[in-house]
Amino acid sequence: MQSLRIYLIPFLIAVFSVVIIILSLQLDESPPMIVGDSMQPRAFPIFLMVLNLVLVIFLVLQNQRKPPEPIKLEPFATWSSIALMLVFYLVTRYVDFFIAIAAVIFGMCLIWGERRWWVVLLTTLVTPASIFLLFDQVLRIRFPRGLFTNWWYS
Amino acid sequence: MTEAISAMALVFLDPYLIGLIFLTTILGVVIGVLPGLGATTGAALLLPFTLTMEPVHAITVLATIYVAATFAGSITAILINTPGTSAAAATTFDGFPLAQRGEAGRALGIAVVSSTVGGIFSVIILCIAAPLLARVAYQFRPPEYFALTLFGLSMLASISAGGAIKNLIGGIFGVWLATIGAEKSTSIERFMFGNYELYEGLSFVPVMIGLFALSELFVQSKTVNSVMNRVAIKAVKLPTKEDYKKIWATILRSCGIGTFIGILPAEGATVASMIGYSEARRWSKNKDEFGKGAIEGIAGAESANNAATGGAMVPTMVLGIPGSGTTAIILVGLMVHGLRPGPYLFTEQVGTVYQIFGAMLLANFMFLGMGLYAAKYFARISLVPPAILWPIVFALSVIGAYSLSSSLLDVWIAVIFGIVGFFARRHGFAVAPIAVGLILGEMVEINLQNSLKMFEGDWWLIFTQPLAALFLVLAFLGLCGPFIFSKLVK
Repeated sequence: MQSLRIYLIPFLIAVFSVVIIILSLQLDESPPMIVGDSMQPRAFPIFLMVLNLVLVIFLVLQNQRKPPEPIKLEPFATWSSIALMLVFYLVTRYVDFFIAIAAVIFGMCLIWGERRWWVVLLTTLVTPASIFLLFDQVLRIRFPRGLFTNWWYS
Repeated sequence: MTEAISAMALVFLDPYLIGLIFLTTILGVVIGVLPGLGATTGAALLLPFTLTMEPVHAITVLATIYVAATFAGSITAILINTPGTSAAAATTFDGFPLAQRGEAGRALGIAVVSSTVGGIFSVIILCIAAPLLARVAYQFRPPEYFALTLFGLSMLASISAGGAIKNLIGGIFGVWLATIGAEKSTSIERFMFGNYELYEGLSFVPVMIGLFALSELFVQSKTVNSVMNRVAIKAVKLPTKEDYKKIWATILRSCGIGTFIGILPAEGATVASMIGYSEARRWSKNKDEFGKGAIEGIAGAESANNAATGGAMVPTMVLGIPGSGTTAIILVGLMVHGLRPGPYLFTEQVGTVYQIFGAMLLANFMFLGMGLYAAKYFARISLVPPAILWPIVFALSVIGAYSLSSSLLDVWIAVIFGIVGFFARRHGFAVAPIAVGLILGEMVEINLQNSLKMFEGDWWLIFTQPLAALFLVLAFLGLCGPFIFSKLVK
């Protein structure tokens, strides 16, 4: 388990760096008359990722000398708050941006331990509504079309 | 010079600006006392709201939030042993023990006075140092700028959170993020994966909102069930003559330390307050009192962290290199409003620049008044349940991300960077280096390209330029910074 703590993150960073190097090598080359004495667009990202790989070696050495502390598993509230982002994406994509925001607020209030229903409902309704009115009426920003915005704009 | 003074004076005579600074100071103090929010998150959340304002008003709002929230972090640090901002962490060491002894009012009084002196001192230094540095910066050409940005990135190694190697990895990740989109000189598309909304590159605003606001939301979800010990307070007390005798030297020393640390690229109020605190302890005749309620400890930490705010604005405004996480957001604010940070800002926009400085000065006076007369009311705000506060932060974050260019892609970018930032922090990586890397990334690449063109491909000629060589030496020293800082803190 300790070796996993030492090597996992450096390994993931190394994989990321190698993937970026491979992607960079596939970038188009610019004609010499445009680039001149400068460098090709692929050169800079490759340089960065090589530098990253060097730092990964140092990170492994550092981790070996002083292994990272074990990370406590986050509580239910954290993982479910992250999962709510998926809900937010799906509801925004298929229903409405503001309904999605209200849904996340509702879920988050409950997950984070608010048990007074009137407070949950008030936060769920008043927050998106007031922000919507501020941005729509004062800042004149148009929001993406959806169930609620279609009704509002029509 | 006359134009600069009149621009600063205008702030004190313009009722609209005074009203704006007053309201923003209140907002900044509220943001500062809410544990977890802090100056950086607050500035990230408010940035989209400033888009429709005049440039000077927008930057005034962000700068005022910066100074007010940095001060306000001390209120919760003293009363509930939870720093409202990371910059107030050192204030808890002696502030909370003093409050537990029944002297919360005295602790807050010392924090308010020290913060005000630190803040005013740093704005004065900002007014003097910024134009002088701008004069030097006029001589900068691409090699100097390239070396300077490398110096800025190397300083990431010494940011307190994370650790040198992890911070540098974060910084490089940030610089890589800046390469997404069409390459500036050849228009060749990089890492866009067919998404043409990324042609101009990643927008700074959603990335900042994700890294600072949404990642903090996930971090705060861990503290849902934590119970805070709160010390009651009747009124804030101004320091007595004896108190002043004890702390004046500490305040002056910390003002110098804080301003200097703030000026260093990528260093901020957190590092400044830690060093201010440890230096206060080192020079004190009553070392044993530290940790048990020493007023010098509070004064040392508070004057240093507020002095860092003005200091951090120097490289931000003059060189376009952020001095801290919050100034990274102010820098984005400047860019969004078409004010290109750099030495020419001091010739082309003198009025705007000095109005911003004047606003920072006025904000310091305002939080002095608010701290002395309303701290106990502000402290009550910290009792807002996280289950109400953070869902509202979520709503403000996603709408803020959307509003910049009315793009849902920006919302997804903010959400993705919120999750990335959370996991990065979970594994000990600070998010500020990613933000600084993203801002400096384009500057590094363009100036390297232009330097190569200048020297016809002979990159080593960069080292023959005296100023560039100086910055590269400083960059090397910057990489050794963590060791020097750890020695100093010890």
